[in-house]
Amino acid sequence: MAWNEPGSSGDKDPWGRRKSAGGSDLDQIVRRLQQKLAGLFGGRKGGGGGGDLGGGRASGIGAGLIVTVALAVWLLSGFYIVQQGERGVVLRFGKQAEVTEVGLRWHLPLPLEKVEKVNVEKVSTIEIGYRSNLRSGGKTKVPKEALMLTEDENIIEIEFAVQYKIKDATEFLFQVRDQETTITQATESAVREVVGRSSLDYVFENRKNVELGVKEQLQKILDSYRVGVLIQAVEMQRAQPPEEVKAAFDDAVRAREDRERLKNEAEAYANDVIPRARGAAARMLQEAEGYKASTVARAEGDARRFSAIAGEYVKAPGVTRERLYIETMEQVYSNTTKIFVDQKAGNNLLYLPLDKLVRGAMEAGPVTATPPLLSDAAEAVPPLKSGATGGSRSRTDQRKRTNTP
Amino acid sequence: MNQSKLIALLGIVLVVVLTVSSTVYTVDERERVIVVRLGEVLRYDDAPGVHLKLPFLDTLRYFDSRVLTMDADAQPFLTQEKKYVLVDSYVKWRIQDPLKYFLTVGGSESGARQRLEQLTNSGLRDEVNKRPVKSVVSTDRAKIMQIVTAAADAEARKFGIEVVDVRLQRVDLPDEVSQSVYQRMKAERSRIANELRAQGAEAAEKIRAEAERKREIMLADAYRKGESMRGEGDARATAIYGAAAGKAPEFYSLYRSLNAYKESFRKKDDIMIVDPSADFFRYMKKPSR
Repeated sequence: MAWNEPGSSGDKDPWGRRKSAGGSDLDQIVRRLQQKLAGLFGGRKGGGGGGDLGGGRASGIGAGLIVTVALAVWLLSGFYIVQQGERGVVLRFGKQAEVTEVGLRWHLPLPLEKVEKVNVEKVSTIEIGYRSNLRSGGKTKVPKEALMLTEDENIIEIEFAVQYKIKDATEFLFQVRDQETTITQATESAVREVVGRSSLDYVFENRKNVELGVKEQLQKILDSYRVGVLIQAVEMQRAQPPEEVKAAFDDAVRAREDRERLKNEAEAYANDVIPRARGAAARMLQEAEGYKASTVARAEGDARRFSAIAGEYVKAPGVTRERLYIETMEQVYSNTTKIFVDQKAGNNLLYLPLDKLVRGAMEAGPVTATPPLLSDAAEAVPPLKSGATGGSRSRTDQRKRTNTP
Repeated sequence: MNQSKLIALLGIVLVVVLTVSSTVYTVDERERVIVVRLGEVLRYDDAPGVHLKLPFLDTLRYFDSRVLTMDADAQPFLTQEKKYVLVDSYVKWRIQDPLKYFLTVGGSESGARQRLEQLTNSGLRDEVNKRPVKSVVSTDRAKIMQIVTAAADAEARKFGIEVVDVRLQRVDLPDEVSQSVYQRMKAERSRIANELRAQGAEAAEKIRAEAERKREIMLADAYRKGESMRGEGDARATAIYGAAAGKAPEFYSLYRSLNAYKESFRKKDDIMIVDPSADFFRYMKKPSR
């Protein structure tokens, strides 16, 4: 603590130190004074009123000088400096005489007056629930202070820092003993009162309100004691559930996030499904529209073609009929695989390996399988002509021949 | 001669100093003083400043005029529901009547503290006894402090003491009760956690279901529109075919059938087993009728 801080008394004052130094000088002076005084009194007696002896005069001057110097030193000891941000409270015989501000000041020297200096600008901090370690920069918890009951009978762990400064130097000096302890106690009481009427969740969610409530309450209490301090800020350093239940609280926090996550995932799903469905619906409509248009167009085309032919058909129905029939059949027979069977011959032993025929047709190559025929037909089979184009015709011819007895 | 003068001078100085120091006294802003003359209290209301007294006959007793603190130890008190709470309180007090204070407490601060502790403890015990924990902690906290302050103040006046304030500093539960509070808090949190997760699942299910509903409706709507559109197309086509075929129904059936034959038999793996007696082959047997 600096010598000019609140609470420190005047005996640490450098002026006071100066005074004590002056005192030791005084001892010397007194000793010398005693010697001189003897000469002084003697000289006065012996010399009478007018003709002083040289030595006596000299000692008289010396004594006067010493007294003057002593007086000057004593008077000078009344000087003191009030630093920026300080107030000097001057007590005359213990009674408050004046409050001085920054600068070089003078008071009547001790024991008539003394001065006590108070720093009214310095912001001090009180910590509740923890103590910060200035050397290591870390914090030590003080669970006894930090753990408190809430309105819903839960236990919460809160750390507070209170910043205050002295607003009234004389009140601070004269009204309350143990000012700092008083502020600490009042803070703890105010914090617990405010937290005590708030629910656990309220404290977590409305830190600012709690801080404000504590500040107001604390100022009210301290004003009622007239401590003369102004609460500058009450800061909730930390508000958390106690160590024992921290896991459960963390899980609840996670659960809240899970809820949002589940919702978001569902939203994402919805955002995926609906546009796709919209697209699918649009596709269905487009397809239907396309179908409609194409169906109608085809019908019109077919109808026109038919109408055109029908117009000509009327002119020569018989021939046209015949021609159309034959043309159609030609196309049909030329495209398909055919097997010529004369049923009237009553050939009961006819065996057609249809599966092989089909496979052969699919391969679009010459049929290599020996035709399954009657025994007498076997030697009549010439080697098959190769070639895809002629294949089917020669096959049919051959079969026609072989199958016809 | 000189020597005796010196002694005389020193004597005078000594006498002056002694006289001044035994007749003049100061009262600080932070002090109250009782002046006792031969055992009898003469006065006790000196203002701060310098005062005179009779030397040797008058003696002085100094008291602190500031607000003082009595910090009580935490005490277990029973609440209405027979639970213990640890109540830590402090009392702010000041000497209001130095004479009474001097006479009743003997002027010792520790004696005064003891009295105050007794007073406030009994007051607090009564008030806490009447109330459940919740009230002590929360709703009636300020009230308890007011009541106890007023009662203690009234009582302490007898000792020349003014009780400025009685405040509950801490109201805590004993350790074993704290443990059960922790258990309850845990249970409560897991309830909340479950609820939150279930809410999430609920909301998600709703959102999904709604999306799916919208999808189904959208698709069904589209199907309806699409099918009716196709139907329209089919109807128009039917009308067109009907109109065209109606002009030559017999020829239409021939024409359409022949087209259908063409369409039906067009691949190599369509196998036809043909009877040569069919009309198509009539010229294959013999060139003339």
